[in-house]
Amino acid sequence: MSAFRNPFDHRVRLHRSGCACGRHASQAEHDHAEALEARQLQDRVVEGAVMRALFPQDEMRRGFLRAVGAGTALAAVSTLFPLGLAKEAFAQGAGALEKTKLKVGFIPITCATPIIMAHPLGFYSKYGLDVEVVKTAGWAVIRDKALAKEYDAAHMLSPMPLAISTGTGSNPIPWTAPAVENINGQAITLAMKHKDKRDPKDWKGFKFAVPFDYSMHNYLLRYYLAEHGLDPDRDVQIRSVPPPEMVANLRADNIDGFLAPDPVNQRAVYDGVGFIHLLSKEIWDGHPCCVFSASKEFVAQNPNTYHALLKSILDATAYARKAENRKEIAAAIAPANYLNQPVTVVEQVLTGTYADGLGNVKKDPNRIDFDPFPYDSFAVWILTQMKRWGQLKGEVDYAKVAKEVFLATDAARLMKELGMPAADPARPIVVMGKTFDPKQPAAYVDSFAIKRG
Amino acid sequence: MTQPFLKVEALAKRYPGPAGKPANTVFENIHFGIAKGEFACIVGHSGCGKTTILNVLAGLDEASEGVVIMDGREVRGPSLDRGVVFQGHALLPWLSTLKNVEFGVRSRWPQWTPKQIEAHSIRYLEMVGLGHALHKKPAELSGGMKQRVGIARAFAIQPKMLLLDEPFGALDALTRGTIQDELLAIVQATHQTVFMITHDVDEAILLADKVLLMSNGPHARIAEIVDITMPRDRSRATIHHDPQYYRIRNHLVDFLVNRSRDYAAGEPAAAAHDPRNPPLVRPGLEGGAEVLPLSAGTAAAVSLLKPLSSASA
Amino acid sequence: MKSARPWLAPLLSALFLALLVGVWYLATYQPAAEATVDSEYAALVGQAASTGAKSAMPTPGEVGAKLWEHLSDPFYDRGTNDKGIGIQLLYSIGRVLLGFGLAALVAIPLGFVIGMSPLIYKALDPFIQVLKPVSPLAWMPLALYTIKDSGISAIFVIFICSLWPMLVNTAFGVAGVRRDWLNVARTLEVSRLRTAFQVILPAAAPTIMTGMRISIGIAWLVIVAAEMLVGGTGIGYFVWNEWNNLSIANIISAILFIGLIGMALDTLLARLARAVTYRE
Repeated sequence: MSAFRNPFDHRVRLHRSGCACGRHASQAEHDHAEALEARQLQDRVVEGAVMRALFPQDEMRRGFLRAVGAGTALAAVSTLFPLGLAKEAFAQGAGALEKTKLKVGFIPITCATPIIMAHPLGFYSKYGLDVEVVKTAGWAVIRDKALAKEYDAAHMLSPMPLAISTGTGSNPIPWTAPAVENINGQAITLAMKHKDKRDPKDWKGFKFAVPFDYSMHNYLLRYYLAEHGLDPDRDVQIRSVPPPEMVANLRADNIDGFLAPDPVNQRAVYDGVGFIHLLSKEIWDGHPCCVFSASKEFVAQNPNTYHALLKSILDATAYARKAENRKEIAAAIAPANYLNQPVTVVEQVLTGTYADGLGNVKKDPNRIDFDPFPYDSFAVWILTQMKRWGQLKGEVDYAKVAKEVFLATDAARLMKELGMPAADPARPIVVMGKTFDPKQPAAYVDSFAIKRG
Repeated sequence: MTQPFLKVEALAKRYPGPAGKPANTVFENIHFGIAKGEFACIVGHSGCGKTTILNVLAGLDEASEGVVIMDGREVRGPSLDRGVVFQGHALLPWLSTLKNVEFGVRSRWPQWTPKQIEAHSIRYLEMVGLGHALHKKPAELSGGMKQRVGIARAFAIQPKMLLLDEPFGALDALTRGTIQDELLAIVQATHQTVFMITHDVDEAILLADKVLLMSNGPHARIAEIVDITMPRDRSRATIHHDPQYYRIRNHLVDFLVNRSRDYAAGEPAAAAHDPRNPPLVRPGLEGGAEVLPLSAGTAAAVSLLKPLSSASA
Repeated sequence: MKSARPWLAPLLSALFLALLVGVWYLATYQPAAEATVDSEYAALVGQAASTGAKSAMPTPGEVGAKLWEHLSDPFYDRGTNDKGIGIQLLYSIGRVLLGFGLAALVAIPLGFVIGMSPLIYKALDPFIQVLKPVSPLAWMPLALYTIKDSGISAIFVIFICSLWPMLVNTAFGVAGVRRDWLNVARTLEVSRLRTAFQVILPAAAPTIMTGMRISIGIAWLVIVAAEMLVGGTGIGYFVWNEWNNLSIANIISAILFIGLIGMALDTLLARLARAVTYRE
């Protein structure tokens, strides 16, 4: 797969001893292993396509597999359909993109940085894709447009694919989140008049805004408030307000503060309307925020396109991770076609050298960071919070849902292909000093004093 | 008398009464005939159902009982065989004078070329003296001119019979006189069969061959048929020099003022009267009818009749 | 009343405008204030924030400059999400005309049927009465959900809001055609089709045009809101995008353009209405 590496890219090392991932003695051995894996993946895709053709309804397929077992099923299907031949035929056309013109929706916030910057900085075209990135008015609209297949893939809040897949707030539709776009990068901003009320215990009766009910913002704000003894449903009001309206509402005194994605926080500072009380990384350093997402249907029907698209995003994310690239990215995504914000606002968010609204210049290079790996544990944590606040009812198979939606395996494989360092699957999650064990989600939910249902 | 061109038999119009009550009868037992080329006027007070009778003849309304036979065929629905001149001229206000006439002509002869239709329509408009106003909209015309367009439209389709519903009722006296003359000239030239409603006794005498006198409604009927025995070549300027004129006029006015209400149920005149065969009278001729002397009060009553005509529907 | 001084009204208009701009200028005028923060911080925030204040309403001069900027380059295209105001207006006008045109295609024939048949009128009246007062934007989620295309959904919303005034006015106009005119057509044995097109249609045309004028006014109101909701293109998207950027000067410019186009659409239909109006 080294052929995929762009030889004109100064960041790519074409010659080195050993292989790209470091697990093999030579590049040749690495490539062989990769080819084998790729072939296995292809076979999977062909099998999947055949099974879908035989069982248009996933329910039926699962029922069939449960009843006869996977091995029997494979044998049975093989007698009906020459799977081997199909796999052969498919292998001939491996790598051909099913679709090159794509539409990807985004919300104009810095979380979407990889999706957006991949356009002006040419990451999509590098993988042979002609992607139109379309600015969208709100989360409900981006969800509806993605469900309506107007978009091939979309920028979503990380809980949204889980909500769509589990049918929370709509009919369940299998959705995937193959890459996290950003980690950290959110903040709690309060109106200027509250600049002396820095202790959350003084916030009783406040009106807060979050971008969407199914958002990390909502869960982080609730967590933060609850840890300080405030019941987020009784002691304060939390409303769902589209990001562009947040600063206007803060200015008009309709809300006291918000936990919002950037550049909204920095924009409130820029306009002298609010100050940054707390960066979200101080609640949970390394928390995911937004994801790159697509329907399972798109992933299954356009495996090559999907991989190329995912690679562009992973590649862009890796580029965005490097501090030295941040200024260039800020200049690329600030214009009206993308974020439509003053460059300095975007730059402050991305470089982490920012005005806090109280007259101080703060420096925190990790204010926002980009790490694409969709840890299952992220999904499990989100599900625990959905459960905690009553958005999910009944029994939840946390691990199963997480695995189906957050496609960690795909991401790991592609990251390896791109020569990116492997993610540490055991990376701990610590939220406000409390460690989360993804193997014990139910106990975690039970451990909270303030919760619903 | 041979079978007349138009024959009306046992015509009646009743409206369903309030629940349980007997029906409202506007008129019943209407019998009359009009010969080809004959000009018949119908005279009667408002509410006796004249306009309904005309609408039934036109096919726009349906009688409750009875039949109308024209040229040997029963009248069912409107037809180009009968041209109608409406009381309120009924010109289509968005069309020019010429287009209004062409609208009918195109219907009558759909196979004609636009040129033929135009030429034919212009001929009829010139006949009523409107050659200069072909491209004016109705709103730009005076009342008299509008009614002339209405007449031209009715004549232009060359119907077998012309029905005029009080066509000059809304016009001032001077205009009315002029158009009456024109209508007289055209009818005499074309030998058109005409049925016309009027409230104007003088108009009836000037134009008609016979006048149908209707008694008052409800239960209106044809009380008498008055034969206008004066020679046909009449003119408005000289007609009152004819000795018959006042005799006929007195007879008609007397009917309207005094006798029209005598035919209600139970009145002696009604009992002696056979509506299927109303008496034909010739008051113009000496001894043609019993001519009642005009009492002093009647002259005033005649002028009182005028407002009635304009109020009639 | 005919004014003896025809210049008086325009003069007054100009005076009001001057007064409005004057008040606006005074209300937004801010004397240059000393920065209250150090220069490093000041470089990171907006002008107002550097003096410890909230960002202010734009002055007439700023809005004028923005207007000039839009007028001097109305049709630029810098990518999917950044197009000139002229292009955005054309998108909106296109949607309005399409939705409105489709509504006319449905409302006028249907209005004809309703107007000619008292039975159908009575049967459909409850539906019309219930659906007519529904805010067109309430249809948006339903449209998005069922049609599954935001562009078509926006057009559908325009369609549905344009439908009622045209439908009701057409039915009313058709039902009110003078009996005499219909009788003329009947006595002339004019076919039903020709009667519909040559008598009823022209007779009801002024009423129908009134409905169309109301409809296009509503459609133009609604398109802005609909585009703000679904985004993508159009003047509504432009307003949303500039709101996102908190650029009040741009929003005021857009408001002016929306008003002007609305006036132009209304004038256009008023002209058409005059063309079909007749005097009796």
